[in-house]
Amino acid sequence: MKLFSQILSYALPLLYLGVIYFYYLIFTGKDKRLLNKTTGLLIGLLFIHAVEIISRLVALNAIPLSTTHDAFSFLAFSILFVYMILELSLKNKGSGLFILSFAFIFELVSSFNVSWTLETNPLLKDPSFAIHASVSIMGYTALALSALYALMYILQNRNIKKRNLGKLFMQLPAISYLEKMSARSVFIGIILLGIGILQGHLEAYDVMGSFWQNDIKVIVIDTIWIIYLIGYSASRLMRWRGIYMAYFSIFGFLVLILGGSMVIYVSESFHSFY
Amino acid sequence: MTINHIPLGVFGISHRTAPVEIRDLVALNEQEQKTAITSILKSFGVEGVMIISTCNRTEVFISKEDPKSVIPPIRKWFNDFKKSSYFLDDHLIYEIYGIEAARHYFRVINGMDSLIVGETQIAGQVRDGYELAHELEGTDSLLNKLFNFAMQAKKRVRNETFLCDGTVSISFAGVELARKIFSDLREKEILVIGAGKTADLAAFHFMENEMKNIHVVNRTYQKARDLADMYHGQAYELKDLPVALKNADVVISATSSETFVVTPGMMENIAKARNHRPIFLIDLAIPRDIDPRIQEIDGVFLYNLDDLNEIVEMNLKKREKELPKSQKIVDEYLLEFQKWYANNSMASIAGRLKKQLDTLRMNEIARLKNHFSNEGLNDINLLTESIINKVVRQHMKTLKKNSGDPERYQQHVDLIYSLFELEKD
Repeated sequence: MKLFSQILSYALPLLYLGVIYFYYLIFTGKDKRLLNKTTGLLIGLLFIHAVEIISRLVALNAIPLSTTHDAFSFLAFSILFVYMILELSLKNKGSGLFILSFAFIFELVSSFNVSWTLETNPLLKDPSFAIHASVSIMGYTALALSALYALMYILQNRNIKKRNLGKLFMQLPAISYLEKMSARSVFIGIILLGIGILQGHLEAYDVMGSFWQNDIKVIVIDTIWIIYLIGYSASRLMRWRGIYMAYFSIFGFLVLILGGSMVIYVSESFHSFY
Repeated sequence: MTINHIPLGVFGISHRTAPVEIRDLVALNEQEQKTAITSILKSFGVEGVMIISTCNRTEVFISKEDPKSVIPPIRKWFNDFKKSSYFLDDHLIYEIYGIEAARHYFRVINGMDSLIVGETQIAGQVRDGYELAHELEGTDSLLNKLFNFAMQAKKRVRNETFLCDGTVSISFAGVELARKIFSDLREKEILVIGAGKTADLAAFHFMENEMKNIHVVNRTYQKARDLADMYHGQAYELKDLPVALKNADVVISATSSETFVVTPGMMENIAKARNHRPIFLIDLAIPRDIDPRIQEIDGVFLYNLDDLNEIVEMNLKKREKELPKSQKIVDEYLLEFQKWYANNSMASIAGRLKKQLDTLRMNEIARLKNHFSNEGLNDINLLTESIINKVVRQHMKTLKKNSGDPERYQQHVDLIYSLFELEKD
C-alpha cells in the first residue's frame, strides 16, 4: 500500500500538469471539441487524488493531514474540487488554466515533501485534529481562490481598459463576476479559517491545558487571520473599489502562503510546540 | 465504388458575382419560388428542384441525370419570369455540376460561402428553401439526402469549430463587451445620450439582450421622451446628464454635438459618487461625444466606433482561420454523400439489380441449355431478359414514387438489397 501510495504521490503532479495542458489547449482555442471533455478529466483527476489520500490513510493508519505533504496535497485537492463545482455550475472554463496551475504548485510542493513519519505530538494525534486541519485547509482553499479571482479580475480589468481583446480577454469571465467571487471567497475563507483556528485552540486547551501555545505557526496564522478580518471589515465599511479589494486579496494570500511556508521550513513539523 | 458523377447542377447569382442592386432584382419571394418550382417540375422533366433565395444569393439546384441539358432553358425561363436579362448573363450567373454542386450546397449551409463568413442565418434560409420544395414534391431522393448530409455537416461544424463564434456586428460587439464587464445585463441600467436613429438602433440591440431599464437624455426633451416611451423608459433633459450618468451602467452616446458631451471633470465627480462602480460607455458619435481622457478614470470603460469595428474585424479573422477545419468536416460528409449515392441512387440500384438478375438468368440458361435447341435458347434469352427488365423497371417505378419520402425510399432500397442479396460497396 505504501509503495502504491508513493507512486500516486509522485504521479499526481504529472497528472495535474496533463490536465493543465488540456486547459491550455482550450485557452488557446485550438480545438472546440475539447470543451466537452473537461468534466470527465476533472472527475478522473479528483478520483485519483482521493485514492492517494485514502491510500495514505490506510498505509499510515492515521488521518493524513498533519504533515506538509498532506496539508499541501489536501489544499490542491480542495482547489480542484471547488473549481470543478464552479465550472459545472457556471459553465466557464476560461479560469481553469489559472486555478489548476495554482493547485498544481501546491501538489508539486506536496510531492517534494513526502513523509512517512507518524506524528508523535499528542495534540496532532487527537482525532478532532482532522476536523481542525480539514476546516483550516478549506479556509486556505477559499483564500487561495479569492486571490486567484482577484488576479483574474486585475487582468480582465486591464484587458478591457487597454482594449487588449485577445485570447485572455475572451477566456476570462466578466469582471463583475470575478470581483464578486473574490469577495465571497475571502469571506468564506475568513469564516472557515476562523473556525479552524478556534477549534485548534480549543483542542490545545483540551490536550495541553492551555489555549495558547508558543507554536510559531499558530502565532503567524493567527496574526494573518486578524489582518484578513480587519482588512475585510474595512473594505466593507469603507466600500473599497474592486481593484483595491483585489490587491488586498492577493497581498493577503501571498503573506499567508509565504509566512506559512517559511514557518514550515523553519520548524521541524507542521506544528512545533515549545 | 465511389462515383464522381452525381446528377446535380446548380446555377445562381451571389455576392461574389453581382452587386446588391442586381441581387435584389433577381431575388425570389415565397410565392415566386412556389411558381418557379412547380413550373420547372412540370416543364423541364427534372427529378427535383430546390431554391435558395436570400439578399446575398439566389440559387437553383436541379436534380436530373444530365443537368447540363436543362439548366440553359431553365435560366431562360427565369429571365422571362423575372423580366430581366440577368439570368442569361454569364458574367453574373455561375453554373456548378456534379459533386462540386453538392460541395457548394454544403459550403452555403455552413456559411462558408457567405458575405460574412460563418453567419448562421443562412442555414435557416436553406432549410426554408428545402421545406418549400419538399412541400411541393420538388425534392427527390438525391436532394433529400443532400439536405440531410449538409445539415449533419452543419451540426458538426458548429460543435467542433469556431466558424460561427464571436460577434460580427458592431451593435452586438457592444453587447458582448458589456457582458464581459457586467456578466448579467438584466438588472443593469442603460442610458442613451441622443435620440436619433443611431441611438435608437443601439438601444434596441441592448434592450433585445435582456436589458430592461432605459433612460434617455437629449437636448430636445420631447425627442428623449418619444424614444424612452418606446421602451417604457425614463427621459431627462440634457442638464440632468450627471444625475443620469450616476445611476447608469451602460451608456450609449450618439448625438450630433460638435463638442464633448461627457468631459473628464464631469466623469471624475460621477465616478467618485458611484464609488468607482464599473460604467461602460460606447461613443457612436462622429465627431465624438465623450472625451477619451475619461478612460483613465478607475471603473470607467470607454469604447468608440473604431474600437468596436476592431472587435468585429478580429472576430472575422478568427472565423476565416477556421475555414480549413470546417472544410475538412464538409469534405468528410461529402464523401459520405458520395458513398450513399453510389449505393442507394436509383441509377445505382437499377444497375446492381439488373446485374444480379442477369447473373441468375445466365446461370439458369447455362444449366438448362442442353434441354433446348439453339433457337429455343434464343427465345428464352429474349423472354427472360424482357422479364428482368420489367422487374427492374417496376422497382424503379416504386422507388421513384417514394423518392419524396426519404424514409420510405430508404426502406425500399434496403428491401431490394436484402431480397436480391445485392452487395454494397
